[in-house]
Formats: sequence, structure tokens, C-alpha cells
Amino acid sequence: MYKMLVIGLSAGGMPLVKQLLTHLPNDYSLPIAIVVHLPKDHQSNFDKVLDCVTNLPVSIVHDKEPIVEGHVYIAPPSYHLLIEQNHHFSLSEDKPVKSVRPSIDVLFSSAAEVFENDLIAVILSGANSDGADGMALVKKLGGLCIVLNPAETEFNTMPNAVIKAVNVDYVVSIEEIISLLVCVDEKE
Amino acid sequence: MTTLIKWKNHHIQDVEVNLLLHALNERYGYDFTGYARASLKRRLLDLMSYFELEHLTQLIPIMLYDEAVAQTVINSVSVPTSEFFRDPFVWAYLRENVIPLLASFPRINIWQAGCGFGQEAYSLSILLHEAGLAGRSHIFCTDINPEFLHEAKKGCWAIRNLNPWQNYYEKSGGTGEFADFFIEQKNSIAIRANYKQNVEFVQHNLVNDDVFKEVQFVMCRNVLLYFGEELQNHVVSLFTRSLERGGYLLLGSGENILDLKEHHPRLELLDYSLQIYRKTMGITSHV
Ligand SMILES: C[S@@+](CC[C@H](N)C(=O)[O-])C[C@H]1O[C@@H](n2cnc3c(N)ncnc32)[C@H](O)[C@@H]1O
Repeated sequence: MYKMLVIGLSAGGMPLVKQLLTHLPNDYSLPIAIVVHLPKDHQSNFDKVLDCVTNLPVSIVHDKEPIVEGHVYIAPPSYHLLIEQNHHFSLSEDKPVKSVRPSIDVLFSSAAEVFENDLIAVILSGANSDGADGMALVKKLGGLCIVLNPAETEFNTMPNAVIKAVNVDYVVSIEEIISLLVCVDEKE
Repeated sequence: MTTLIKWKNHHIQDVEVNLLLHALNERYGYDFTGYARASLKRRLLDLMSYFELEHLTQLIPIMLYDEAVAQTVINSVSVPTSEFFRDPFVWAYLRENVIPLLASFPRINIWQAGCGFGQEAYSLSILLHEAGLAGRSHIFCTDINPEFLHEAKKGCWAIRNLNPWQNYYEKSGGTGEFADFFIEQKNSIAIRANYKQNVEFVQHNLVNDDVFKEVQFVMCRNVLLYFGEELQNHVVSLFTRSLERGGYLLLGSGENILDLKEHHPRLELLDYSLQIYRKTMGITSHV
């Protein structure tokens, strides 16, 4: 049984993550942590934009916040988002990784160490290679690795970089990503 | 005979982190064992490539015998990221709501803990000058790292920061000319001497040093981020004891005190998104 879902996106990912959240059921139980790179002045209302498309509670993470089921968490602008062994989030102001903060690599790696094979990691679209190293660790520790088919986005550097670096489990369309995510959360 | 169990590398690295932290504490008296582990581990593992090592534990003997290496390790544990008037909405709140109330105290002592390179300390000094309170206020700035304190005392930063910081200053409601607070040199800006007058820099480790002053305002932003929950609780108690009744505590806007009522009944949360707290007037009932 999966316990945590992490999603990384950059350029071109906004409509995709909106579509994804729109189609998750209201009783979706996996907690979802999202790292997005956006220009500084756009970031501040990202939570409100997502809040409009889903009934799941959406919030920007505060340091040491415990992870709660069925909640959508967003990395605050200019902080790395990490997960501690006690399943609380933590933030850091360590230097940018691959020139970005928050970094998808940082979230994915720390989530992988905590959740190992209970983790699902999803890369949508973007114009840099952030996420590839994090996804490699997710794979190594037994998590489920999903990448958007690069043919489905004009910003395909990120999904391509991940596919090149990691033998991921699925390279599929956004519709298929959604059905996979719904499927794994189905209760008996 | 039992066979030894195979462990994943990241679990073994956790052991290495523990060993290194214990060595650092025993040899140099710097105790980072209570720090939030996930980011601390990342920063320490980064040292492996810097020193070209295969395992973190290989750093232990080098660090034990070479103080310069130990200083590098200590510098990598504490991160001095900061800016003038960072999160302008917080500074606007201080300007409009906190400073006017602080003005009612005859003398204003402020403890700014974890000052890094001093940007926040001098932002505060500017604010007090603008409110006409500089003459009866004093800012005690502390940090664990003597190298950071040395830089903070100098009060010089790269000139490329001038524009973004000016922008923050204006957004915080500042109406002065930001550049006038500084002397422009070739590639740097230096804070003018009158903003240094009421600012004092002192080495202090939040982990094991005690309260050193009674103050009306504690400002400690983006330092507790680096601490684990137990250590954070310990430090928040330290701040509470240091505060006069009715005094304020300001944390970083992304920070958060867990179980406030239970652990820190003397503190009242005034605003979650600003992370500003006030020590209650708390007339003790048994008197
Ligand atoms: C990210 S900086 C924060 C600077 C400033 N307060 C701000 O928010 O702009 C964190 C600072 O905390 C200091 N620090 C870390 N551990 C500490 C400790 N145990 N005691 C005192 N200061 C500490 C670091 O040296 C660093 O300068």
C-alpha cells in the first residue's frame, strides 16, 4: 500500500497538475507533496489556483508540519521541502540544487529515504533536468516511478532527462497518470 | 550463530552522520545532534564530494586533528541565507504594529538570534531609527558562527543586492531612500555608522548557552528550521524566559511551533502567516 505521492513540475506543468488534481476523487487518501518552479511573483498564489480545482485541502507547507492523509501540500517559494523520518515536513534554505529552490531532487530523495517502496513519484513537464537524481533514488529504494510522456508537452527536457537517467515504471499520458494514481488508492 | 543483516546504504549513512556529529561534539563542543536530520544529512554528504571522500566517516579523523577542516564542517552545518527586509509584509507589520507598542517600554532591548551576516539586524536598526527610537533601543545579535559574526560586524554586502533589497524596503512601507543607508564602494555597499551604533554582535549558541538578557522583542527567523522538534522546543522556552511580559517573538514566516498551548502556554499566537507571538501578561494566580 502506497503512503505518499510526490509530484515535480516546472514550465508547462501548471495545466497538467490542475487537470490531475481535478480528477482525483474527494476521498483520495494519499498525501500529495508538490514542488513547482515558477517565477518569483507567480508563486505566491499557486495554492489558491490549485485550491479552486479540488475539494482536497491545499496548503503551503510550514516547517515541522505533520503529513496528513488526503491533503495537498505545496513547497513554499524559495525553500527546499524535505520529509523527516517522523513523517513531518521540514524546510531548508540550503543553496539551490541545479540552480533551483525548491528542488524536486531534494524532495524526491528525502521522501524516498523515508517511504522507500511506499512512495509514488511523478514528473510532469519542465525545461530543466531537476528531478532526475531524485527519481533515481526513488527507483533504487523501490518506489513507483511515473513520468509524463515527453511527446505530450512542449517542455520535455525534464521528462526526457528523467527517462534517460532512470528506468522508470511508466511513461504515459496525463490521463493514464490520473487513472494509475486513482487505481493505487482504491480501497478494498 | 546469527547472520549479519544487509542494510540499505542510506541507513548506513545515517549511522555515519551520527558518528560524525558525536565526534564534532566531543572534540569541539559543537552539538548538532538535535538538528533536523534530512537537510543536515544532505549538507554533510555534500562534504564528501568537496573533500573527495567515498564515505562520510572518512572525514572524522581528518576533522578531529585539523581545526580548519572542522571549521569547514561547522560552516556547512549553519547556513547564513538572508536579505534586508526579507518578506516585506512581515516588516510592514513590525513597522505598523510592533514598533509602536515597543515604544511604550522605557528601554527597548531586542535579541536577534541567528543573525548570519547581519542583514536583518541592520534592517531592524533602520526601522528603529525611522521610528525615532534608536536613542533608547539596543539590538543584541547572536550567532553560533564567529566567522558570520565577523562579517556581520563589518556590514558589507555585494552591490548587486542593492536593487532587490530596495524593492523589499519599499514594499515594507519604507519611504526613505534605501541607498542613503549605505556607503557605496566599488563592488559593495557598507551600512552607515549611525545604524551600527545600537547594534551589538555576540557569539551565542542556542543549543547550550543560556538566556543572557531580559528583552522586549526576540527575533529569530529561519533558524529553528534547522532544529529538530525537541531542540526547537528547548530554544522557544529559552526565548520565552528571556522575554518580558507583553514582549514579542517573531519567527520565520515558514516556521511553526508545534503544540503551542501544551509546550509554551506563556506564548500567544498573534498571526500564523506572520509567525508572530506575544508573551502573555500572565498574572500568576498564587500571588
Ligand atoms: C538562515 S540564517 C538566518 C538569518 C536571519 N535570521 C534571517 O532570517 O534573515 C540561520 C543562521 O542561524 C545560525 N545558527 C545555526 N545554528 C545556531 C545555533 N545553534 N545557535 C545560534 N545560531 C545558530 C547560523 O549560523 C545562521 O547564521
